[in-house]
Amino acid sequence: MKTSLGLCAVAATVLTGLTGLLVGGLTLGAQQRTAGLKARVVQTNAAGDNVHVIDPATNKVVGVINDIEVPHGVALAPDGSRIYITDEALSTVDAVDARTLMVTKRVKLSGHPNNLSVTPDGRKIYVGIAQAPGAVDVIDTTTMTNIKSVPVQGAVHNVYVTPDGKYAVSGSVASSVISVIDTKTDTVAWTLKESSGVRPMIFTRNPDGSTKEIFVQLSNYHGIAVVDFSTQKEVKRFELPDIPGREREMDGIQGSPAHGMAITPDNKIFWSTSKYYDYVAAYSLPDFTFIKTVDVGPHPEWLTIPPDGKSLYVSVAGKNTTVVVDNKTMAVVATIPVGQVPKRNGSGMLQTQ
Amino acid sequence: MMPWVLALLAGMASLVPGVPVAQAPGGARGGQQAAPPAASSLDYEFFKTRVQPIFLKKRPGNARCIVCHETGSPRLQSLSPGATTWDEDQSQKNFAAWLRSVVPGDPMASRLLKHPLAAEAGGDPFHAGGKHWTSQNDPEWQTLVAWVKGAKL
Repeated sequence: MKTSLGLCAVAATVLTGLTGLLVGGLTLGAQQRTAGLKARVVQTNAAGDNVHVIDPATNKVVGVINDIEVPHGVALAPDGSRIYITDEALSTVDAVDARTLMVTKRVKLSGHPNNLSVTPDGRKIYVGIAQAPGAVDVIDTTTMTNIKSVPVQGAVHNVYVTPDGKYAVSGSVASSVISVIDTKTDTVAWTLKESSGVRPMIFTRNPDGSTKEIFVQLSNYHGIAVVDFSTQKEVKRFELPDIPGREREMDGIQGSPAHGMAITPDNKIFWSTSKYYDYVAAYSLPDFTFIKTVDVGPHPEWLTIPPDGKSLYVSVAGKNTTVVVDNKTMAVVATIPVGQVPKRNGSGMLQTQ
Repeated sequence: MMPWVLALLAGMASLVPGVPVAQAPGGARGGQQAAPPAASSLDYEFFKTRVQPIFLKKRPGNARCIVCHETGSPRLQSLSPGATTWDEDQSQKNFAAWLRSVVPGDPMASRLLKHPLAAEAGGDPFHAGGKHWTSQNDPEWQTLVAWVKGAKL
C-alpha cells in the first residue's frame, strides 16, 4: 500500500510538471503527505466533549473528534498529519491523527490551558496556561513532550506564533500584559502593558514576512488596538460600529465585546466579531476603511479563513453553529450545526486518506 | 464550618448590592403567596446527596458542570485526587457558593435552573457552559426545583 501510494505520488508529480519541479526537493514521504491534503475547518465546542471537522468545499461536517471534554484551542500541524487541541478537563494538549480523528497522545501541561499555536515548521507548540502566575508551555512535537514552561506575567488566555515563526505572543486577561517570546531561546523578549485584559490577537506582515503589527482585542473594549511590532508600542485604536436602534447584548459576553479576528490570505480584508451586536465587521487593509457588517447570530466567538481565502467561518456560540460568510459577497452562505457552545476554530490542509 | 453558618453568611451576602441572593421573590409578584423559604432554610443534605451529583454527571455531547465551574463562577471545589465526589468540607463550600445562584421558592428566578435550561423551554438565552436540559420535565431539572422549593431529606 505504501509503495503504491508512493508511485501515485511520483506519477502525480510527473504529471503536474512544473509543480513536480517545485516539490522536487521534498522527500518521497513528504510527497505522499502532500498528495492527500484537503482543506478542513476544525471547530471546537467549548461546552462539549467533541470537535467538528468541516469540509469547506461542501460546508458539511465530515468528521467528529470525540473524547475531548471542554476543548479550547485548536492548531493544525503544517504537514497536515495532526490536529492539536487543548483539553481543559485533563489539562493536556491532545494530538489527534488527521486521518482517523482519534486522540493518539495527551501531553500533560503545567496548568489549566486555554489557547495554543504551532510554529510554521511544525516542530513546537506553544500553549497558554490560564492560571496564576502565568506561563506558556512549549511542546516538542517530535517527542510530544513538554520541554519548557516559560514564565510570563499573568494567566494566559491566547498565544500565537507570529507568521514568520520568530516569536510566540501571549496575552493575559488578568494582568493586561502582552508577552513576546523569542522562539529560538524560548525566553521573553519584550512585554507591553495594555489598558485592560488582552483577548484575541492577530498579525500583519511586512513585505519581507516579518511581523508588522499586532491587532489586539481588549476586555470591555468594542474595538481593536493596533500595536507596532518594531517600536513595541500601541499606535492607534478604532471602535467597531454601533448599530442604530439596536441595543447592545450584554448578557454572557464575559467582558469581551469583540472576540475573534481574521485576515484574508491576500491581506486585503480584516474581519472582527462583535458580541455586542452579533455581527462580523469587514475592513479593508491597510487603510482600515470600514466596508460592512454581516449579522451572524448570538455570541460570535472566533473566526478562521481556509487557505483558498474564499470564505470566513464564524463560530456562533449562542446558536451552536458555524456560520459561513462569502468573502466576496460578504453574505452568509451556510449555517452548519455543530456542538455545544462552539468557540475556537482553525483551518488548513489536513491529510484525509 | 457548619452548614447553617454558611447559609447564614450567604443570607447576609444578600444585603450586599449586586449579589442576587435570597431576594424576596414574592414581593413584586403579589404578596398573597405563601412566604418562600429563606436561603437559610434550603437543605444542605438535599444539596449534598441529590444536587451535587448533577454537577458531576456526564451527559452525551456536554461537558460536565465541574469542568468549567472548578475555575469559573459559581465555584465548585476541585475534587481531591482520586476522589469521585466531594468530601464534607468541600460540599459545605459548594453549598455556600451555589446558594447565591438561587432564589429560594422561585425556580424561574434562579440562575442555577434558568442558565443551563434550553431557551425554548424557558431558560436563559445563553449559558457559556451550554444547555443541559431541553425540558422542565427533565428529572435532573426537577431535582433542582425541589431543592429550591425547600425539599428536605
